[in-house]
Amino acid sequence: MTDCGCDKAKAELEEYLHRELSDQDFRDITDHLENCEDCTGEHLVGVTLTLKMQRACQEKAPEELRAAILAKLL
Amino acid sequence: MPTALLDRPARPAELDSTAMSDTPPVQPAPELRRLFEEQALVFMDQLYAAALRMTRNPADAGDLVQETYVKAYAAFGSFTQGTNLKAWLYRILTNTFINTYRKNQRGPYQGTIDDLEDWQLGGAESLTQGRSTRSAEAEAIDHLPDSDVKAALQSIPEDFRLAVYLADVEGFSYQEIADIMKTPVGTVMSRLHRGRRLLRDLLADYARERGITVPAPTTRSAT
Repeated sequence: MTDCGCDKAKAELEEYLHRELSDQDFRDITDHLENCEDCTGEHLVGVTLTLKMQRACQEKAPEELRAAILAKLL
Repeated sequence: MPTALLDRPARPAELDSTAMSDTPPVQPAPELRRLFEEQALVFMDQLYAAALRMTRNPADAGDLVQETYVKAYAAFGSFTQGTNLKAWLYRILTNTFINTYRKNQRGPYQGTIDDLEDWQLGGAESLTQGRSTRSAEAEAIDHLPDSDVKAALQSIPEDFRLAVYLADVEGFSYQEIADIMKTPVGTVMSRLHRGRRLLRDLLADYARERGITVPAPTTRSAT
């Protein structure tokens, strides 16, 4: 196995997180993360940030809004 | 039963040019309405959450979602079944926001935000920090209340906020975000990167203000 190195990994971590990489690049970064604590830590911050935003941004549309919209579609 | 065509709301002009270029729909209105209710209304909570992040207040968010659904319903006959309805709805939401609400909210440098250097935004690349600092950072972010995360999102430039929201919260692909925001994929990536960087820095500040100190790990040292 050839390690793609920290430079490539750090440059592509965000695309890795968002699943925007080709299969080959995705495997390269996954392999690198298995062997590099530094990049794994960086990736963990990224994942935490994403999950935190997903949880914080849960909202429910108010009932009045739902009713108003349904009324407009009649 | 009422005549089908009379039930159809008027088509807004801005949607006509793009959405209506194909063959006009022949679906009767009752069927269209049933489909719309079934397929589009399930996204109301999500659209409202996005509208809240865009407009930053519940009253405008409600108006924006309502306007979005009215426009979407009017143009629904031209929506191609089987394509991504959620992305289609977000495109209408984002268009409506930009055309109706954004002009009232623009800050002094919003128009050229992509051209600003990182130091002008107050963010700084800090990829040189150590491993223990990073796990402390992740833990600090995890411990912050939701209100801090929303506040941080509110305070970054709008184009960055939208890109980050669409990618991280909604899970749209870069190409879909490019279509929604009408901007090249490269710009989306740059906005995402810079937006997330600013968020990280803000959340670190909030954590410090709250006195969240996470001890560096002592048991995970590599051998």
